[in-house]
Parts: sequence; C-alpha cells; structure tokens
Amino acid sequence: MIDFLLEIGVEDFPPGILAQTAHNLSSQLEELFKTRKIFYRSIRTIYTPRRIGTIILGVSRRQKPQVVEIQGPPKKVAYDETGAPTATLKSFMKSRGLKPNEIVVKRIKKGEYVFGKKESPGELTEDILYQELPRIVQNLEFHRGMVWNETKVKFPRPIRWIVALLDRRPIRFEYAGIKADRYTMPNFHFSFKPIRLGKPREYMNFLRHGGVVVDPNERKKLILSRIKQAAGKLGGVPVFDDAMIDEINASTEYPEVVGDEFDPAYLELPGEVLQTVLKAHGNLIWIKDSNKFICVFSAKKRAIQNVKQGYKRVMQARLFDALFYYKQDLKQGLNAMREQTKGMMWLKGLGSVYDKSVRLEKFVTTFKDIPKINLNALTRAAKFCKADLCSAMVREKEFTSLQGIMGGYYAGLGGEDNLVVQIIKEHYHPIFVGDVLPKTIEGMVLSLCDKLDNVMGAFIIGNQPTGSYDPLGVRRNGYAVIHILDKLDAKLSITQLIEQLKGLYEKTVQPTPIHQFFQERLSRYLQDNGYRYDEINAVLENWTGDVADIHKRCDALKGFRDRHNFVMLIIGQKRVRNILKGIKDIKELNVNLFKEPAEKALYKKGMEVSARLEPLYISGDYIKILKLLLSMRPEIDKFFDDVLVMCEDDELRNNRLSLVNFINTIFLRFADLSKIVIEGVKEG
Amino acid sequence: MKKIKTFENVIIDLKHYWQKQGCLIFEPYNSEVGAGTFNPATFLRILGPEKWNVCYVEISKRPRDGRYCENPLRFQQYYQFQVIMKPSLPDIQKLYLQSLESLGFKLNEHEVKFVEDDWESPTLGAWGLGWEVWLDGLEITQFTYFQQAGGIDLEIVPVEITYGLERIVMALQNVESILDIKWNSQLTWADVYKENEIQFSRYNFEYANPEFLRTLFNGYEDEARRLFDAGLVYPGYDCAIKCSHIFNMLEARGTISISERANLIGRVRALASRAAQLYLANFNREEKTDD
Repeated sequence: MIDFLLEIGVEDFPPGILAQTAHNLSSQLEELFKTRKIFYRSIRTIYTPRRIGTIILGVSRRQKPQVVEIQGPPKKVAYDETGAPTATLKSFMKSRGLKPNEIVVKRIKKGEYVFGKKESPGELTEDILYQELPRIVQNLEFHRGMVWNETKVKFPRPIRWIVALLDRRPIRFEYAGIKADRYTMPNFHFSFKPIRLGKPREYMNFLRHGGVVVDPNERKKLILSRIKQAAGKLGGVPVFDDAMIDEINASTEYPEVVGDEFDPAYLELPGEVLQTVLKAHGNLIWIKDSNKFICVFSAKKRAIQNVKQGYKRVMQARLFDALFYYKQDLKQGLNAMREQTKGMMWLKGLGSVYDKSVRLEKFVTTFKDIPKINLNALTRAAKFCKADLCSAMVREKEFTSLQGIMGGYYAGLGGEDNLVVQIIKEHYHPIFVGDVLPKTIEGMVLSLCDKLDNVMGAFIIGNQPTGSYDPLGVRRNGYAVIHILDKLDAKLSITQLIEQLKGLYEKTVQPTPIHQFFQERLSRYLQDNGYRYDEINAVLENWTGDVADIHKRCDALKGFRDRHNFVMLIIGQKRVRNILKGIKDIKELNVNLFKEPAEKALYKKGMEVSARLEPLYISGDYIKILKLLLSMRPEIDKFFDDVLVMCEDDELRNNRLSLVNFINTIFLRFADLSKIVIEGVKEG
Repeated sequence: MKKIKTFENVIIDLKHYWQKQGCLIFEPYNSEVGAGTFNPATFLRILGPEKWNVCYVEISKRPRDGRYCENPLRFQQYYQFQVIMKPSLPDIQKLYLQSLESLGFKLNEHEVKFVEDDWESPTLGAWGLGWEVWLDGLEITQFTYFQQAGGIDLEIVPVEITYGLERIVMALQNVESILDIKWNSQLTWADVYKENEIQFSRYNFEYANPEFLRTLFNGYEDEARRLFDAGLVYPGYDCAIKCSHIFNMLEARGTISISERANLIGRVRALASRAAQLYLANFNREEKTDD
C-alpha cells in the first residue's frame, strides 16, 4: 500500500469558496478511485489560502483485477451434437485469445450464448492518475474564473505549482502550463525556498516547519483555542460566530493571535458599528462592551508588535470616520433623512424610497386585527424605517449592512419609543434563509410588508426571477414572506394581502404568476421543514393563501403517516379519485335515484361526516378531520363492492358519479390525498 | 540608529527595482486622474497584442476622500506607484514581495496578507481579479490581473500592481499619520502638502461650482465624441479622463442623485469604451499596413 498526495498551489484563493473547492476536489478523486476500482484506506481534504489538496492513504498500486466478459456465438452454433466445439467457437477463441477454461455458457434474453471470461490484472494507479488528473482539476466548479497566462485556462486565482506524488514518484501531468512535480511552497513569511517532498507522508510535517498548518480542522482548533487564551488575558467575552471563524481559517496558513485596546473615545459609537469596523478590518474580534479586540494573523510570531500597531492604526482611522458620520447623522435627524429619500429611486418606474415608506405606512394597517398589535408603533416605524438609507453612515459601503440598525439608533436618539426603535432595527430580518425572525409581532409585520412589497415591485417592473436569474433577490424575499406568515399564524391569506397591496400601486400586476410564485416558495419552505413532496403536493392542491394553515395540514398528514390505517385513508380517496378520472361533466346529485342500499349508506355517511367536519375546520383540528375522513372507508368499500358505477343506464351512472364526486369533495377540502405515494401500492 | 528611508527614496528604490525587472520608467499623466489605471500607459497599452512593461508614479485625485487633514489616512490626493507587466510573470507574487523586502520590510517581522478584491472600474468598463495587499492590516497595494478594459476582453492578461506610497512609507517610518512622513531628511509630507490638502478639501466640498462642473462635463463629453469621430484616440481619451475627474468632483460636492450618478458613470464609460475600441482598431490597421 502506498499514499497519494495532490496539491494545487495557488495565489491567495477567495476565502468564501476555498473549502467548497477543496472538498469538490476530494470528492472527485474519491469518485475516480471508486469507479476505477482503486482501493484506498482514507482520504483527507486539505486547504489553506495558498493551496487546495487531498491526501489519500493506503492506495493500491493497481486497479482491482478486472473480469471482462466477451459475448461469442449462440450455444447451438458453438457446439455440435456431441458437445464438441465447432469451428465457429474455435475461431472466436482464437481471435480473442481465449483458453478452454475461460469459456462459459450463459442464458441471456436472446437465448443461450457462449461467453469468454477473461481476467485482466487492472491498470496501474499511476497511469490512471496521469490520464485523469487534468480532467479532475478542469472539472472543479467555481462561480467566477480568471485567465492569467497564455493557456487561457480559467480558475478563481492563478495556479502556480502542482504536487502530484504517488508514493515516491511524481505524476507529471500538465495543467494550465504547469507540470506537476514533488515541490511545494512554504508560507512566504517563512521562506521562498521550495520544499522537496520525498513521499506524501512527509507533507504535513515539512509544511508545518515551513509555517503552514495544512489541515483546516487542526487550524480551526488552533484558532479557537488561541482566541480563548487571548480573551482570557484581556478579560471579557469575544464576539464571533462560526462563519467568521471559517473565514479567518480560510485566510490563514498559520494562525497567531494578539489582543489590544483602541481609544475608549470611540465607545460613543453603537456596538454594531464597532463590531462592523473591526470585522471589516481583518476580522478583528471585538471583546463585548469594551474597547478591546483580538487579531488573528497569519505570520511569524515575531511580527506581533508590528501587527498589533498596524491593525490598530487602520481600525482607529476608520472609527474616526464612523464617528464623523454618526455625529453628522445625529445633527441631521431622522426626519431630514426621510425627506432625502425622496431623491432616492426605489425601483425603476416605481417611485422613490420615500414613496415606498408611504406605501408601507398604509399597508401595515391591514394587520390591525392581529391580537395585541401596537398599530401606532407599527405605522410610526413603517414611516421611518427606510430613512436611514440616506444617513451618512449607511451610505458608506462599509456600513450598508447596518441599515435598519442605524435607523433604530437614530429613532431612539430622536425620542421615538423603544418599540418603534426595535421594529425599525429588526425589520430587515430574516436577511437570508435560516436567519432569525424579528422578535416583535410588529417587527414581523413590517418585515413581511416590506418584503411582499419588494416582490410585488419586481413583478410589476418585470424583474421576477427566471431560472438562475434573480438580481433583486425576489425568491429570498418571497421565502421570508412565507416564513413570517407561518410564524404569525394569524389566519391571513396571502392572496388577499396581494390584493390589498396592489390597491396601493398605480401600476398593476397579473395575479396568476405571483400566486404561482408564492406557491413555489411555500412548497420549498415546507420541504425545508421536513415534509415530503407528496404530502406538500397533496395539501397544496386547494391552497387558498393561508400559509400557517397549510403547514398544520402538512403536519397532521405527516403525523398520520406512521399510523397503521394511513394506507386505508389514502386508498379511500384514491378509489374515489380513480373512477372520476377523465369525467368532466358532473350532474347534480339526486337522492331519489339511489337504488342500492350501499348508495344510500355512502350518501348518509358523507352528509354526516361533512356536518361534523365543519366545526373542526374552524378550530383547525386536522388529526380529528383525518380520522373522520378515514371513517368513511367501510361505506366507500361497500359502495364499490356492491354498486356498478359505470352501468348502462345514463341517468343512474351520472348520479353515481355525482355521489362519488360528492365524497371526493369532502376529501378535497382537506387535501388531495390521492397524490400521496404509498410504497408497494400500485398506482392506477 | 537605523537610517530612516524617506518618501522620495522609496520612489527612487521602487523605480530601480522595477527597472531591473525590465520596466520602462514612465512619468505621471498631465491631467487629474483618480488612479494610475487611467493613464494611457495603462488603460490603452493593456489593450492589444504587444508586450508592455512599465512603471510610474501617479498622483491620484479622490476629491471625496479629503478630510481637511483631520484623518491620518484619508486625503483627497495621494501618490501611487504603478507597475504594469504584460504579460504577467509566473513568479510575480514573489517579485512583488521581494520589492517590499528591497524597501526594508523583513517579511518575518510583518504580516503581508492578500485580501480578495475583485476590482472593477465602472467608469473605465474595466475589471480584474486580485487582491488588496495588507501590511499589518494597512492596505498598501492593489494587485490585479486585468481581464477586461473598455468592455473588451484582453488578449494578453496583464498584472497591475499599484502601491499606495504614503501608506507604505508610513509603515516604513513607523509614524501614526501620513502628515508625519519624512519626505526627505528635512521636510515632512505636511510641510509639502498640508496647506494644499486643506484648501483642496474646502474647494472640493464647499467651493466647487456644480453648475460650472456640469458645463465642463458636457463640454468635454461633446469634445471627446468629436475627437473620436475624427479618429483622434489620445486627445479624445484625454477628454474622457477630464469627464471622469469632473464626475468625482460633482460627487464630492454631494449634488448628484443616485440615478444621475449612474447616468454620469455610464456616459464616462461609453467614452472610455469608445477610446478602447478606436485604439484597437488603429492598432489592427497599423498591423495590416505593416504586412
């Protein structure tokens, strides 16, 4: 058993796509080893900003021996009556170089045939790698590539060296004008001298001496423990999240840490501003509620003094700017900022940001009936929620992400009450799928209105998403609308909300595509909440626009799925549904035409169940509803056993179809259960 | 005590260093530019199929960044040292790092970080991928592989290395503000430029006449078009550069709305694209006559 190392040396890779590109490389190699039947014991992904790679241990020198079957003539042609080989078989054996013990007879579709079975030793791993590695590097996926030399190969950043080492031998394939070899590069803070690798196992250690911790997991642990240590020394709680650590990890080959303090004068700035400045300048980690910070850097330890001083200098200059903007904004006040939004275009042809805030102010009143809602605070917040887009702070690229938050601070300092401040601050959430929702009901409502308005605006100007084209983030907005409606659980119909909002626009939008759009978002939302596509399809069959209600139906259906009589329930509607297939014209039901007792019994049951369902739909007790639907099963079965629906008599047949349709409608009010897929039950 | 490297000596050293790498030593453009990229020695020369290695100092004018000398790092004007290597070299990153060493930075005593920065100039219709280079957290260089200029895919990918001279010297001399930089052994940056900086801050933010600037913008735009129509690339492009600076002035003055901003940028970009196309067309014509 031998080891294999592939390392692609690059100029500093974008941290955001580093890990995924490295994993992509590993999984492709894994795939190659599996499909080409090359044994290996373990595989490990490595990356730093300057290299992505894979180490595969315990690799076999050759593919697994291959058995190849070659089809020959039919048995009856290959052997004569005595069972001796014919000339045809002999010539087949000769042409393929087959020995008698390699000949077998097998039955296939066309009859019995002779086959030659040959075992080949398998290609050398080395040869396979030589052939396949260029393709593997070429297949790496990335969003935006660049060209850097005459080969015009595209990659996120220039490739500068490649190590491909199988045991002690380099696999000298060529890619992007570079020949793979056994030389890797150290951290440039340590040296420019290439490191010669005798075999893959030397890699990690040799590079460690060259100032590179190649294993991302090891590096992450190191970063976390060093931050903890530094925070302990400074005294305080470091503010960071996983994404930040991952980004730091993707930007360093060798993490060192240092802590320091900045001028306390800047503590006048809101914490979010401090944190944003620190994060923008090298992912500096803020020690909560203090003027202390931690810097993770990627150099030699002896650089500590220069690093500390350097980062602090830059960050303080930026804090100086931030304080300047902040004071300017406070002097101006939120009212004046709001006035300025008149000059800020929202969407082309749909007026200004000011117009949008006026629309939101009106639209939020639609939600006045939600229990305990503070409509005064809500309308006040709606009025001012976009004003900070014209603040000096938010206008700066670096602080754009503080939209809402700055507005909240400025509102508070301008005398607005706490709830208004809170609503403005949180109304952009959820910013991405999986982000937190606003904490207050009013914040949720404003966020919902804002985002529904974004979707509507995009549809009106014809910028709705198609395929991967979604420049305005309409899908994300739509998803957030669904998410909030679900959590609000306020018996609100999105269809009606759309109608209300449409009334606030001069231009209009076709309702069908936007309804369809939200149905798709809802479907995705339910999938993300763990429901199966058939459950979702079933309940979406007659969606009227209430999101929370659909979620509850889905939940009931899912809960019912584990019960022993679930299949019985589903088959009930399937039977009903099947007979109605292709029937278009349903006549009115006439009870006087019932002939068989089973008809009467089914009708009676249907009427009884309908009546009992009524209050259950109001209380939303969907488990009870499902039980009631299930209770119709004996009458349904009896009906189909005793009654011939498709009888000769037109009148009788039509009436029986009407009865079946009546039962179907009772099911449909809950969902189209016939869309549920049941394993082992044949469709049709 | 270690002898301090002065501002002017850093310029001289960088020129020497890149001259040794085969760069032609050029001089700044004779009109206001936002960056060395606008200099025809970059913007036009990176187009086309010929090799081109050059370096020069460029005085970069960013009216919006002025702070009346109250911020240690933000000024409405600073010096860039621009290097273009076309085509770029396989060991260009190392060459760059060694240029820092040649100025006196020991790489084992500092952190040099290449921070992802996809550079784009909307006014030049140019973009490239690369980095901001940070020295101990301070951005000292833009390092970019150009991919497009004037909306045209580049035949040969050049690398552009733009050093922020004041910032580098600040780190070298270990001073807290650009104002404190020693220009030579007697004078500081403040001695040379402080008054100029304050006055230009006032001009850019308070005294510039927007009406006059708009008139200038329109006039230069018309002039550029007229010159392009006559096939005069360099004078036409000169007018485009002037438009770009006037746009920056208007923006600093805070008198343009967001939609007008996009409109003005689009108009400058149209001029720059026109210059690039015309330059290439002339180039191709010359090649044909050579045959």
